[in-house]
Amino acid sequence: MNAVFPTPDTADSQRLLSPAELEAALRDIGARRYHNLHPFHRLLHDGKLSKDQVRAWALNRYYYQAMIPVKDAAVLARMTDASLRRIWRQRIVDHDGDHEGDGGIERWLKLAEGVGFDRDYVLSTRGILSATKFSVEAYVHFVTEKTLLEAIASSLTEMFSPTIISERVAGMLKNYDFITKETLAYFDKRLTQAPRDADFALDYVKQHATTPELQRKAMAALTFKCNVLWTQLDALYFAYVSPGMVPPDAWQPGEGLVNEASPARVGGNRKMAAGDRPRLPRGVRLRNDETRGKWVLLAPERTFDLDDNAVAVLKLVDGARSVADIADELGKTYAAEPRAIEADILVMLDGLAEKRVLER
Amino acid sequence: MNALTPNRPDAPAPVGLLAELTHRCPLRCPYCSNPLELDRRSGELDTQTWKRVLGEAAALGVLHVHLSGGEPTARNDIVEITKTCADLGLYSNLITSGVGGALAKLQALYDVGLDHVQLSVQGVDAQNAEKIGGLKNAQPQKFEFAAKVVELGLPLTLNSVIHRGNIHEVAGFIDLAVKMGAKRLEVAHTQYYGWAYVNRAALMPDKAQVDESIRIVEAARERLKGQLVIDLVVPDYYAKYPKACAGGWGRKLMNVTPQGKVLPCHAAETIPGLEFWNVNDHALGEIWRDSPAFTAYRGTDWMKEPCRSCDRREKDWGGCRCQALALAGDAAATDPACSLSPLHAKVRALAAEEAAENPPDYIYRTIGSNVRSPLKEEVHS
Repeated sequence: MNAVFPTPDTADSQRLLSPAELEAALRDIGARRYHNLHPFHRLLHDGKLSKDQVRAWALNRYYYQAMIPVKDAAVLARMTDASLRRIWRQRIVDHDGDHEGDGGIERWLKLAEGVGFDRDYVLSTRGILSATKFSVEAYVHFVTEKTLLEAIASSLTEMFSPTIISERVAGMLKNYDFITKETLAYFDKRLTQAPRDADFALDYVKQHATTPELQRKAMAALTFKCNVLWTQLDALYFAYVSPGMVPPDAWQPGEGLVNEASPARVGGNRKMAAGDRPRLPRGVRLRNDETRGKWVLLAPERTFDLDDNAVAVLKLVDGARSVADIADELGKTYAAEPRAIEADILVMLDGLAEKRVLER
Repeated sequence: MNALTPNRPDAPAPVGLLAELTHRCPLRCPYCSNPLELDRRSGELDTQTWKRVLGEAAALGVLHVHLSGGEPTARNDIVEITKTCADLGLYSNLITSGVGGALAKLQALYDVGLDHVQLSVQGVDAQNAEKIGGLKNAQPQKFEFAAKVVELGLPLTLNSVIHRGNIHEVAGFIDLAVKMGAKRLEVAHTQYYGWAYVNRAALMPDKAQVDESIRIVEAARERLKGQLVIDLVVPDYYAKYPKACAGGWGRKLMNVTPQGKVLPCHAAETIPGLEFWNVNDHALGEIWRDSPAFTAYRGTDWMKEPCRSCDRREKDWGGCRCQALALAGDAAATDPACSLSPLHAKVRALAAEEAAENPPDYIYRTIGSNVRSPLKEEVHS
């Protein structure tokens, strides 16, 4: 294994490192091999990529995001200690969310939609480079086949991610007029999640890599993971920057995008659907106005007067119920055909979403 | 219920309260809407009084509280005041410049339940913005503040006051709002009362520029539907009918100054002879219902022609009293911004004339600066 994934050249590879020395050696791997050093990332952050090149990145990176919970479930399956599993399972929650429309994968989909992709096209994973898939799948296999220590050590690239995220967010907002703060919401969460996860994993590795052999394995695992990230950017660079060799089945500019002529869909603002779970965002409140004896929706610099039907719907809007659920409940209460009222509810909710006082 | 029920059309329950917590502000915008004579810190209402006033406001039926100034975060008790709003169920709106200590207090404001942030941006180009606001290095602070607002998940409105010094940046303001993740953008042409009146010649854009800005906003509204809501306020002087000042005098809004005076609108003190009551002497409900300043122009009984017989009289309520005084020399006259006013043509010609000249330098405002009131300079017969 060392021949394939050589460990960094430490002065004395046979010596047992102190925990602090081990941490320094691990950080050194990141300093030399983490993908923030890759030319593609420099281009991305410096605003040198075209919109289509940014799209290629967003699309391919989706595959990595989507497989992270699969990887973490594989790690989880190998943990015999419940207290360890309780900590690790948080990673799956972070990525998958607690309900539909929540979580890191969803936020990445929003990013992909924000640069113009059709959601279903991204979900299909058609058009993702084979090299991306091979690389990501190698990561899943790695944590399944290697020891738990190596599996955990391979996650330590998170130690380096806060730097790259702040560079990325600042650089992309500054340099691309098609990127908004909302599009990059994925990274906001990761700024707090990644350090928390990395702290735990680092402590685990420092505690459990108790022999020179185990320490070398931990370092090799982290090196492997750096290579997983690096090769994904190699593939992107090769296909979409230079020499620009796009494999026959991979995404080509123009494919899988929503129709740019339909403004309602740009930025992920498609029409509300029966399966969507609407919610009132922070800063929008349904309130009983006792002085005037009616319910109102309080919003930024606005007050919406509501009729009885709107009040009945909004009282059920909680981010958990879908539009179909709301229609079912109201159908029961008012002895009406749920699918008929569903259509009316969708029109009303779309109107509020257009005014930015309702989200899904 | 007391006499203040919504069934009494002459004194409907107020919906909004503008709390001018302080006149202190790190910026010195030449169109500032605060009065020419700023209140000093030593005379500001204390925390307990503000809490009492907010309680009285909630009981009166107020729904929205606009925490403003000056720079409201310059008050040490801004978090406590915001929390009081949340506890009372009042919708709290922080109207801020985003500079100075604003960022440091944002997390705490979020934690106690702040509902919304309205951030002022003076220009898109940093150099221009900082010239207008009169404060170096303000722009990066504003950007950092906006990023934090969005990161916290608070709804952000960007407020841009438009005049000839930044009207070429209207498209840029729209892009900036999208980039920042704002949900709303206010493209508000300067209203020429108070300090803006002093600087009117430096601020007034020409008609073609105004028309172009309206066209840009309308196109962007369509393009950004569902992403950004854009509110447009056009300059009165070029409009056909005046705006209903504050939703009609004493009908919807009231304004409490840093020292506790309660005004029907923030410029009402420019009208001589009006008697304002203070929250230190009277309960808020009593002031709203009975104080001379509020009853002076409430309803339609005070109106002269052409307002008196106009079928729009309960739509725009005769326009702005302060502007009527400034331009027509009579606070009870029809607002000359109205095309039905006999003075309208003169006002429009005046605006066009000033916009055609090279703009003079801004007169910056600071507390204690002593500028002769301009109101006597232009009394129209």
